[in-house]
Amino acid sequence: MKVTLEHVTKRFGDQAVVRDVSLDIGDGELFFLLGPSGCGKTTLLRCIAGFYIPEQGRILIGDTDATRLPPHQRDTGMVFQSYALWPHMTVRENVAFGLELRGVPKDELRRRVDEALAMVRMTERADYRPTQLSGGQQQRVALARALVIRPKCLLLDEPLSNLDAKLRLEMRTEIRRICKEAGLTAIYVTHDQKEALSVADRLAIFDQGVIQQCGTPREVYERPVNRFVANFIGETNLIAGTVVEADAHRALVRADHGVLVSQVLPAGETLRAGQSVTVSVRPEVIHLGEPPAAEVNVLRGELLESIYLGEMAQHQVAVGSLTVKVFDLHPKLLTRDGHRKPVTVWCRPENVVVLTR
Amino acid sequence: MVGPRTAQGLSWVLGVVLAVMFLVPLGTVISGGFFVEGRFTLEYVWGVFQSPIYAEGLLNSLKIAVGTTGLVTLIAIPLAWLGNRYEFPGKRLLSGLVLVPMVLPPFVGAIGFQQIFGVYGALNSLMGWDVDWLGRSRYFGVVLLQALALYPIMYLNVAAALANIDPAMEEAAENLGCTGWRKFWRITLPLMMPGLFAGGALVFIWSFTELGTPLMLNYTRCAPVQVFDSLKEIGTNPFPFALVLVMLVASVTLYGVSKLLLGRHSYAMQSKAATVSGTITVHGWRGLRVALPFVAVSALALVPHAGVLLVSFTEPGCWYQSVLPTGWTLESYREALGHGITVSSIRNSLLYSALAVLVNLVLGVAIAVVVVRTQVRFRWLLDALAMLPLAVPGLVMAFGFLAVSLYLANLEWVKSSQVWSQLLDVRMNPTLFLVIAYAVRRLPYVVRSAVAGLQQTSVSLEEAAANLGAPPAVVLRRITLPLIVANLIAGLLLAFAFSMLEVSDSLMLAQRADFFPITKTIYELFQLIGTGKYVASALGVWAMLFLAVTILGASLVLGKKMGQLFRV
Repeated sequence: MKVTLEHVTKRFGDQAVVRDVSLDIGDGELFFLLGPSGCGKTTLLRCIAGFYIPEQGRILIGDTDATRLPPHQRDTGMVFQSYALWPHMTVRENVAFGLELRGVPKDELRRRVDEALAMVRMTERADYRPTQLSGGQQQRVALARALVIRPKCLLLDEPLSNLDAKLRLEMRTEIRRICKEAGLTAIYVTHDQKEALSVADRLAIFDQGVIQQCGTPREVYERPVNRFVANFIGETNLIAGTVVEADAHRALVRADHGVLVSQVLPAGETLRAGQSVTVSVRPEVIHLGEPPAAEVNVLRGELLESIYLGEMAQHQVAVGSLTVKVFDLHPKLLTRDGHRKPVTVWCRPENVVVLTR
Repeated sequence: MVGPRTAQGLSWVLGVVLAVMFLVPLGTVISGGFFVEGRFTLEYVWGVFQSPIYAEGLLNSLKIAVGTTGLVTLIAIPLAWLGNRYEFPGKRLLSGLVLVPMVLPPFVGAIGFQQIFGVYGALNSLMGWDVDWLGRSRYFGVVLLQALALYPIMYLNVAAALANIDPAMEEAAENLGCTGWRKFWRITLPLMMPGLFAGGALVFIWSFTELGTPLMLNYTRCAPVQVFDSLKEIGTNPFPFALVLVMLVASVTLYGVSKLLLGRHSYAMQSKAATVSGTITVHGWRGLRVALPFVAVSALALVPHAGVLLVSFTEPGCWYQSVLPTGWTLESYREALGHGITVSSIRNSLLYSALAVLVNLVLGVAIAVVVVRTQVRFRWLLDALAMLPLAVPGLVMAFGFLAVSLYLANLEWVKSSQVWSQLLDVRMNPTLFLVIAYAVRRLPYVVRSAVAGLQQTSVSLEEAAANLGAPPAVVLRRITLPLIVANLIAGLLLAFAFSMLEVSDSLMLAQRADFFPITKTIYELFQLIGTGKYVASALGVWAMLFLAVTILGASLVLGKKMGQLFRV
């Protein structure tokens, strides 16, 4: 079912933790709220669940106005960061609880609980207590408990943050599989950008209670709308400069070390000559070595430092007063004695993003 | 999970209930001391200090309190320190055993105490001495008996404070070359000050206003006994009010000061024990050496009660100038269970205590939920109000309840109605007042245990249930209560145990023999010449057995967390 937020504002005391947030989350969409800790994303999720009542704005679940509905009447299934499995009940009792409250008849209840446990592959542990399970298993049970009631929308509050790295990878594809199989609308809160980029249909980047950008993972990564988003998602080189000339498709920006050509310009905005802007170039789009002829963005500098990471190497290259990060995906250039060695780096204009905010 | 509007309403209801149960009797005492014939006056409060009799009574009570608190500190600190440092054989059992005296009121023990430490008692007979252990004025007797009953409160507070000290604090001192006694004086002792203050304030207030012990030891020249003796004049004489008021002000002031000092010393709590504490495990002879103080203190504390046990089996008149009774009998028990007044007193005490516990359960859970789980603006006030009975002496409350009842009983509409006077006039039927009095005095323990339970339970466990569609009542019944049930049971058991052998309220409010609770019956029997003392002992033994089992159960359920119930 679709979820709509209209101008939602939530304050604690004088402090607005969520400010004027509007979102349209489509039916069956896997939507992510991504942001640094303390940005208000969990607060917004708890507003949707009904644990907080926003001071302003409306929250619609499907077509019903749920803004002031108490939590138990909203039919959202929530997976808590701490899982919140009841220690005095077995796995089966935990999962069955929501169905019991809905007065589901005995045999149907049993069937649906079994189904849900099978879906998260926990059938064999049905009669265990939560404290006897590992973190990953508890996580699965929490998911089953939220899924079994066939919620109007699934809410996940940093569900994987207590798991180790390997399990996290496994569970995030698992969560996507389950949501898509059940055709669920899901809202997923995380601070882990890899999680968001790899699993989300769409995501919203949050900072200081405000949505900075909302879009598909590719849009957000490749066309960030401001410095915060460019910096928060992935790594980037932010270079200050001044517009020399610009048209609808292309801009020339003068920075300390020379001129950069960009083909990614802010939408709905015309750049003026002389305007101060920031240019964002991702480290992995910068190439080391001599460019093909006719490349325009070519910088010459010195290699400061190289870090070998297996699948790639990270280089720091000094270009004038600037230090540029470069990721080399198939490390060739790696010399321990390469200190201050002169190098050439280059990138394509379609990978250079101009930011005005 | 309580909605903001429900929470607001609930906290108002609770506030009003607490006000009626607690503030009304308190207010009656205050206005009775200050307002005479509708006029504000300091004459009587001042008069208390002017009157040689009352002034002496207050001074004696103060001496008792100072002596008791000092003695209790000397007993409790070494015990708590040993318990914190060492792991020794039988520790679990022994650290439970040292707590037992707390619920065996010195009131009952006094009978056996005199039998053993009296001039013609067992100890002198054994050693061939002629020493007056209780002192001519019985001052030492009162202090010793009270200290032996009250040291567990200090022990629990100090032990909790010690457990809170990050072992790294002491390790840092050792690292810099400070060890042994110097480390204890410079580091450990200052860090456990909060526990000392908290425990000390409670013990001081308790012993300052204790009625049962001096009454049974016949030490009449102290303020609580003077109040008890003047109850008959309550309607006509403002002096008892003024005396009680002075005791109230002294206690509350002390409580406030201890809170203030506690606040200033709260640095000890800032860094909680992060590392595993360095307890030393000792076995064999060394273990026995550490266990010995625990055994010795519990044994000494149980001497009065052992005395009671012996008295209950003694042929009347057969324990005089001898180590042990010279004649044995079971007659006292037969009489204790056959006597009309004793059987009904057991039934009455069970009824009053059970009802009081029920009241505590409802109030305690509701207050804890408001305090821990809601954002109601003045919830700290509710919490403070529920904890205040710890600071207000039982004697003051009992006096207040009696005054309220007598005031209500004199109103026309109460006098003219059989139902109302049965309910409100303690001279007719003290049930309602005794239940309220028992409940309000023990409310702090129940609130503390429920609050502790809720704080240990993650809110998201309740939110998860609400999220799955459980309305607040279902969340409370299916999730919250089962999760805090261990804490609740422990708190309620304590409340029940304390109510069963409560002294001040019972002695003052129960005025008709068929409504006497156990303690009042013991007191009345004790006054009887002849077999009274022996039957009273037999009744006391029944009650103590019952209580010991209850309290051991509570400490097993609650384990180490027991100490939380006795912190200011």
